Amino acid sequence: MGGRLWFYSNYHCNLACAYCLTESSPRVARRALPAADIIALATEAVDLGFTSFGITGGEPFLLPDMPRTVARLAGLRPVVVLSNGTLFTDRLLRRLAPLAGLPVAIQVSLDSADAEVNDELRAPQNHARVTEAIPRLVDAGVRVRIATTSEGLDAEARERLCALHRSLGVSDDDHVVRPVVRRGRAATGGLGVDVAAADLPPELTITADGAFWSPFGPTVRGQRLDTDLLVTRTTRPLSIPAAAILRLVTGRPPGADAGLNIR
Amino acid sequence: MSAIELIDAAQAPLLVRRHFEGGDPGALVAALAHVPEICEVALPLFGTVLGPTSLPVRLKEVVVLRTSVTGRCRFCVDSHTVVAWDSGLSGEEVAALRGEAPWPPTFSTLERDAARFADLMWERPEGAVDVLRPHLEDHAIVEMVVLCSTTMLLNRLCTALALPVAPAVAARLAAAGL
Repeated sequence: MGGRLWFYSNYHCNLACAYCLTESSPRVARRALPAADIIALATEAVDLGFTSFGITGGEPFLLPDMPRTVARLAGLRPVVVLSNGTLFTDRLLRRLAPLAGLPVAIQVSLDSADAEVNDELRAPQNHARVTEAIPRLVDAGVRVRIATTSEGLDAEARERLCALHRSLGVSDDDHVVRPVVRRGRAATGGLGVDVAAADLPPELTITADGAFWSPFGPTVRGQRLDTDLLVTRTTRPLSIPAAAILRLVTGRPPGADAGLNIR
Repeated sequence: MSAIELIDAAQAPLLVRRHFEGGDPGALVAALAHVPEICEVALPLFGTVLGPTSLPVRLKEVVVLRTSVTGRCRFCVDSHTVVAWDSGLSGEEVAALRGEAPWPPTFSTLERDAARFADLMWERPEGAVDVLRPHLEDHAIVEMVVLCSTTMLLNRLCTALALPVAPAVAARLAAAGL
């Protein structure tokens, strides 16, 4: 089982990307995990042996407490926060200043070197806003990772994208490329690859609706939460979902996970 | 129509997916699957208590059906009417337990007292086991109480969630004019 514990901090988002797993948008219910719950669960996770944390959504930085929550978690274990990269105003960057030097990475979505290609799936002006924000985060001393979600990236398109992220101050080691997963809005739009539990590394994922097999689990389609990768509704104490996912992992053949390199 | 959405095989959570692998697992499983960590332990409990044990299956169905009748659980009454038929109770016996016919002489004294015990468990549980003492040892009394209590839990669960009976059950009841 993966050592990272994930949190779905919230489900709402200022964007409504075409392949969003959770059908997030400004209009959906927040379904937020209270910051105090995230911190309490993270504290418990350390005792259970988890080695790092991930925060995703929705857009986590829509939550005013998020910089403080991330700093608290980083005092326990390394943290990666997934963000659409469009909310990093001067004010938010000032609030992120305490993260400099902490074991924190903000993973920003950028799908193409071509603004037109990127923005078609994400939002108008998204490319411009993200490529402006990344160097500012880097300058603020925050480690930035770039996640590219793509239906297919040929060598030339990939090289141009890599040249772009290098120019923004992000190394090749901090660039991940993964396929569109056919869940949530991607499934409605006929995008991506089908996945089952065996294709996904088991990484316990806590949401307001329960604990899931992986951060690709608590997806929403037709405004209905998918339960096929639900582990338990109980999230606290964390030992309950942790024990349940361990029971599920037991007996899996070695190497059955990560078949599609979806991480 | 049930009071909640019933989970189908495509949405079956990991801990309880095996219950869906053989086809439609029934409304009770499809409802409990919403909370897999409860479903995971409740189904073996229900299966153990209501399945084969040291008590005669016919006696157990007297308790389960009568408890469900007194508890006014339509789902459980319908489902266990069929189970009772399949457990060797006659049409007259089942009709009596359902409160629709006089008690036939074919019931044993224990079975009659077991039906009375089921009524008392709803009406006045203190001392309800007294009617069983002339017939059963302590371990069997405990099992009868567990059986009846589990049935009462299921009665409330199935009624509150307005679970629909299986089509096969509905068809057999219809064929019998029920």
